Amino acid sequence: MTDWLVSDVLVPNTDGALEPLYEAALRGELAVPFCDSCGTPLELEQVRCDACGSAATTWRVVQPHGTVHSVTTVHRLEPGLIVATVPYHVVDVELASGHRVLMTTSIATDRSPAIGDPANITFRRVAGVAVPALEVSP
Amino acid sequence: MTDQPAIIGLGLTPMSLAPGGHASHLASEAISLALGDAGLTRADVDGLLVNSSQGIRPDRVGVQLARSDGFGDLRLLEHIEIKGATAVAMVQRAVLAIRAGLASTVVCVFADAPIQGSGSSGSGYAQSGGNDGLRGLERASGLLGSVPTYALMANRYLHVTGGSEDDLCAVVMAARQWAQGNPLATVTTPLDADTFFAARMVATPLRVLDCARPVNGGCAVVVSSQRPAGAAHDPVFVTGMSQIHPARHRRSGDESWFGGGAGRALDEALLQARRARTDIDVHQIYDPFSVVTLCLLEDYGLVEPGTAGKVARSGALAPGGDLAVNTGGGQLSGFYLQGMTPLAEGIIQVRRAGGARQVAKASTALVTGLGGRIDHHAVLILDRQAA
Repeated sequence: MTDWLVSDVLVPNTDGALEPLYEAALRGELAVPFCDSCGTPLELEQVRCDACGSAATTWRVVQPHGTVHSVTTVHRLEPGLIVATVPYHVVDVELASGHRVLMTTSIATDRSPAIGDPANITFRRVAGVAVPALEVSP
Repeated sequence: MTDQPAIIGLGLTPMSLAPGGHASHLASEAISLALGDAGLTRADVDGLLVNSSQGIRPDRVGVQLARSDGFGDLRLLEHIEIKGATAVAMVQRAVLAIRAGLASTVVCVFADAPIQGSGSSGSGYAQSGGNDGLRGLERASGLLGSVPTYALMANRYLHVTGGSEDDLCAVVMAARQWAQGNPLATVTTPLDADTFFAARMVATPLRVLDCARPVNGGCAVVVSSQRPAGAAHDPVFVTGMSQIHPARHRRSGDESWFGGGAGRALDEALLQARRARTDIDVHQIYDPFSVVTLCLLEDYGLVEPGTAGKVARSGALAPGGDLAVNTGGGQLSGFYLQGMTPLAEGIIQVRRAGGARQVAKASTALVTGLGGRIDHHAVLILDRQAA
């Protein structure tokens, strides 16, 4: 099955630091990293907590909800990479867990999300890899 | 050897929009021009610092330039890398090395040739980045190249400040006005607001005119404690310098796209220079996108928080305004040579060699470099007088 937005050449490598995110995403769950010692929400590639200095991190499944922190509608449809034929949205979602994650919408839509909108996270598949997406209705 | 380190040479190649050329050849040409300007030859150089564009092309300049470009024994040779802050950081490194006695004449060079073949340079940036890690996730989500990234920053900034695309338009129009006095600027046609708003949208709210103009070109500067008799210009002193790398984190409650207190770097540099913000005659700010000028004017404490858009719309940034910003047209209408764009213009203005765009009696310049997603800041205070 082909993703609505990007070509399969953009399939992310799943075997790096974000492996727990991709594993959970395949199950339809959103997993993000926290500091094991003090619980601070960490950035996705952060390996040591900036609050307490611990290098012990745990990826936990969180509620897939948040709000739109920022958004852009991309008009340049990059040849060979973007298969959509109309402008698409990229959203910076602030999760209730305290994390921020960039994603596009679950399906094509001409209605742009707005900063402050509530956000529910679902997943799209890029060449079989599940990636977080902002749920939008047709 | 008692003289303070100063910038005694500047070399700028033509800024080409035509495909072709090699970064190493452009670097070589820029070095020759800078040494000629300083009244020196390669035999007088004992330090070389190199700044290459980040890894999207195989043809990058590096420390091999020392061997390939005809230098003799060097006492200092480094490839410096803190993204867009590198050019300014090179000058800092050169000054410190000379003060420490590790070198006496240091060439700092950057060259890039992003325009190759048929595709646009913007497309070249979009095609690079790979599939690994966080970048891979972002690219699979449609975040290709730097324009959508800065577009997210821009929308967040405009949301927080209550600004509008009129603010961005004002920055672009000011840069264009300045560019008209710069023979090296790539875009000098007069620009009105209607033309700005009619320009092609790349990623809302950023139009193509909100984005830097990549060029194939090179720039070199010579930092030295020598005062060669054949120098074309008086020395330009580096009276203050600093870096700040704010530890912003992407998590709830923080503005992670901009801010972070970069003004602390300016505070430190001004303290060294024994100057105040109001003493700065020209402000050369790293401006890859129009919104960055606004964010940095606020973060550097040059305008009150949330007012940069209003200041821009007042015309203050344009020729004749109270806050002379990017007086060669910056990266938007001048040329995108990363940190060399603000550095070169700062030197030119302090030398009072700016011709039609010269700010009268300019003596003190702020030069800023910026790396990552507004993550790395390096600043210089340049002055006609030693501190």
